[in-house]
Amino acid sequence: MESLSGAPPEFDYLFKLLMIGDSGVGKSSLLLSFTSDAFEELSPTIGVDFKVKHVTVGGKKLKLAIWDTAGQERFRTLTSSYYRGAQGVIMGLVVSAFYDVTRRDTFTNLSDIWAKEIDLYSTNQDCIKMLVGNKVDKESERVVSKKEGIDFAREYGCLFIECSAKTRVNVEQCFEELVLKILETPSLLAEGSAGVKKNIFRQKPPESDASTSSCC
Amino acid sequence: MSSSTSMLTATQKYAAGALFAMALNQAQIHQTLPLGFPSTADDGDPSEERLSSSSSDSVSENPQLWVHESSGLLLPIFKFLEIDSRAWGGLEETAAMSPAKHHVGAFLRILVEESGDMSLEATDKETALINGVDTLSSSMEKSPAEYDSRKEKQREYEHACREKFPTPDTIPELKSVEENITDTSQQENTGNTSIAEQDRRKSLSESDGKPMEEATMLSYPRKVTVLYELLSACLANIPDDNKKSTKRRKGYDARHRVALRLLATWFDIKWIKMEAIETMVACSAMALLKEEESKEEGRSPKSSWDKWKRGGIIGAAAVTGGTLMAITGGLAAPAIAAGFSALAPTLGTIIPVIGAHGLAAVASAAGSAAGSVAVAASFGAAGAGLTGTKVARRIGDVDEFEFKTIGENHNQGRLAVEISISGFVFEEEDFVRPWEGQHDNLERYAVQWESKNLIAVSTAIQDWLTSKIAVEMMKRGAMMTVLHTLMTALAWPTALLSLTDFIDSQWTIAIDRSDKAGKLLAEVLLKGLQGHRPVTLVGFSLGARVIFRCLQILAESEASAGLVERVVLLGAPIAIENMNWEATRKVVAGRYVNAYSTNDWMLGIVFRANLLTKGLAGIQPVDVPGIENVDVTEIIEGHSSYLWGTQQILEQLELDTYYPVYNRKVVKS
Repeated sequence: MESLSGAPPEFDYLFKLLMIGDSGVGKSSLLLSFTSDAFEELSPTIGVDFKVKHVTVGGKKLKLAIWDTAGQERFRTLTSSYYRGAQGVIMGLVVSAFYDVTRRDTFTNLSDIWAKEIDLYSTNQDCIKMLVGNKVDKESERVVSKKEGIDFAREYGCLFIECSAKTRVNVEQCFEELVLKILETPSLLAEGSAGVKKNIFRQKPPESDASTSSCC
Repeated sequence: MSSSTSMLTATQKYAAGALFAMALNQAQIHQTLPLGFPSTADDGDPSEERLSSSSSDSVSENPQLWVHESSGLLLPIFKFLEIDSRAWGGLEETAAMSPAKHHVGAFLRILVEESGDMSLEATDKETALINGVDTLSSSMEKSPAEYDSRKEKQREYEHACREKFPTPDTIPELKSVEENITDTSQQENTGNTSIAEQDRRKSLSESDGKPMEEATMLSYPRKVTVLYELLSACLANIPDDNKKSTKRRKGYDARHRVALRLLATWFDIKWIKMEAIETMVACSAMALLKEEESKEEGRSPKSSWDKWKRGGIIGAAAVTGGTLMAITGGLAAPAIAAGFSALAPTLGTIIPVIGAHGLAAVASAAGSAAGSVAVAASFGAAGAGLTGTKVARRIGDVDEFEFKTIGENHNQGRLAVEISISGFVFEEEDFVRPWEGQHDNLERYAVQWESKNLIAVSTAIQDWLTSKIAVEMMKRGAMMTVLHTLMTALAWPTALLSLTDFIDSQWTIAIDRSDKAGKLLAEVLLKGLQGHRPVTLVGFSLGARVIFRCLQILAESEASAGLVERVVLLGAPIAIENMNWEATRKVVAGRYVNAYSTNDWMLGIVFRANLLTKGLAGIQPVDVPGIENVDVTEIIEGHSSYLWGTQQILEQLELDTYYPVYNRKVVKS
């Protein structure tokens, strides 16, 4: 096993990112745009999707494990466990919340649902939150002004960026900014360090000797 | 199979697939880091999470994982459930994410929330399925009377054994008293809590192996339906266009069965229900296979099948008993695997219907002579496979190696096999009788092997035990300290050295033969003669060594991880060091028990040639992660006690529960 996966980690830090937000705001499209430089009209995500992307930011090699959750109501219960899943496991939990500038209700749901969810389920105090306004290519259909986005971000203490998965405007920047912020946060950095990474099937449980202490 | 024929919605299937994936991954973790492991009790949640927190690596980088696509265990299931391939990656990763319980809870909630809107047709099917499962499972449960009669038989055997082969380490006067105790205790035993149960209760409070809170919100029919669809998925042989997963084997993978067992535990569904589902699927599969065949032959039986298949399937099911009999009765010995592959497309549609009335009928018919013929053919694969294995003995240097059927579960469509191996025998019946009293729902076989050599060595040992000098030593109470001496200083009493020469030479042959028999057993399993069904291996004395050797061989061969489901070694003459127990652990998908008796000094004496400094599994715990060590000293007063004590030990181990037992003593009760 060592020989198969024991190679020195090819990255300095591993960060886990979670994507949440209403259905159809373009979470998956943004992720696809980021990981594959492609844009498609995607059908709604089923449950949860997972992608890995290696990037170099600020001179550090990073592995980003990105969880893309379904926005549809019927999968809503799932999302909560993915915030939670990060606890103690993943090194930097970061949440990017989306609203769609063409649909007003996705903006109102931000404070009604998503911001609350983060507070409720996130197990990492310092986790970086980022608000991303997608679909700026449809400038004419804008229903949420940039100022509203900025104000919201200020109120909830998160980063803010506007982008378009379709034209790839600001897509790279969105993730880069987020990651830079994580790199500036010591507690998140410590958790994401490659040295902490472990493999259950490689390590022997330390308390294995307990099984010998039988009564006889 | 279009989604309309399934009883579950797409979202429910997604959740079911996810739950199965998580169970699969948890089952693999529990191989080496079992539930209820002492550490988790102490520091509770956080430590558990830390330990089982899967690597930061993603699943795709870790081909050892059962949930990795190269294992071929998961993707075929997703495919059968028609889960969109875009969702597979997320599910795989989720499965490997820890702690599992939070995700399990979330996915269970999805099953619950989706329960509201079901089509009428689906509801009908579900009801039919549930009825079938309930009827079948209640017919599979052993009646108390039956249990008593088995007990009685077992006691007779014990008495016979004791008379013939007095164990000199119990003083005669004491023995009668002791037997009285045993007798009364056995009667009480039925109502007793087994240690497995105690452990289960203990682990309920501390680990993610407990029934999930959310499971109580999920209706019983829904749980059964999910398990049923998952089992169908496990058995169906879907043509795989993914070249990476070439390892996909035919039949029922032991790892799948272990995952289903854990899932049933999360659901809080009794295992016997799952066994009923297995049987149901098996019988239906055979019926369908026959249908395919008759179609190919292009004969007229088609008409009755057409009736069966049309909307009127339910109506036709009224005659199922007879029909099914006619169909399967003529079948020679169809390979199960072939059967399942043929029915992948229709599996989901027809079975619940047969299940409604048909299987109940079959189940009751099976009790009669005609009935046994009816279902006989259904699992003929194994009948011909294992009992016809005499051929195999030509392969090795083994003179005798033969499977004997035991129990009543043969040709009843059981989807799991148990192979029991005695290793300390005085006459041929000792290969079979120690196992006869068991009552589980496995298709059971005993191996008769090398009877000449085994009887020779056993008799030599017994003769020595009853020889004057041994008795003399016993009287002085020396034997109890002998074992201790053997293990610590190797300061051998001269009396022992001189006397064991004869035994030594016999024993060396027997050890050699048991290693060869182990190789043979491994070959049988690798060939799939057990009908590509998960196998439980149980053996005592040299029989345990056969099993261990078999596991070693399996560990060396490719793609053998899905063959063996559970293993119980009793009084095993196997060294602990340098034997690579870890490797054998990997080929056992589920529980792996080492039962030892600390005062089995006889085993210590005959084994001494192989150096006790390396440890001896039969008299002490094996310190390897994932191996359950159980102290059976109270039941095993001498090595020959395994002949009649094994059954009681097995009962207390409760192999059908998912939970392991650790460092527990099996007590007389």
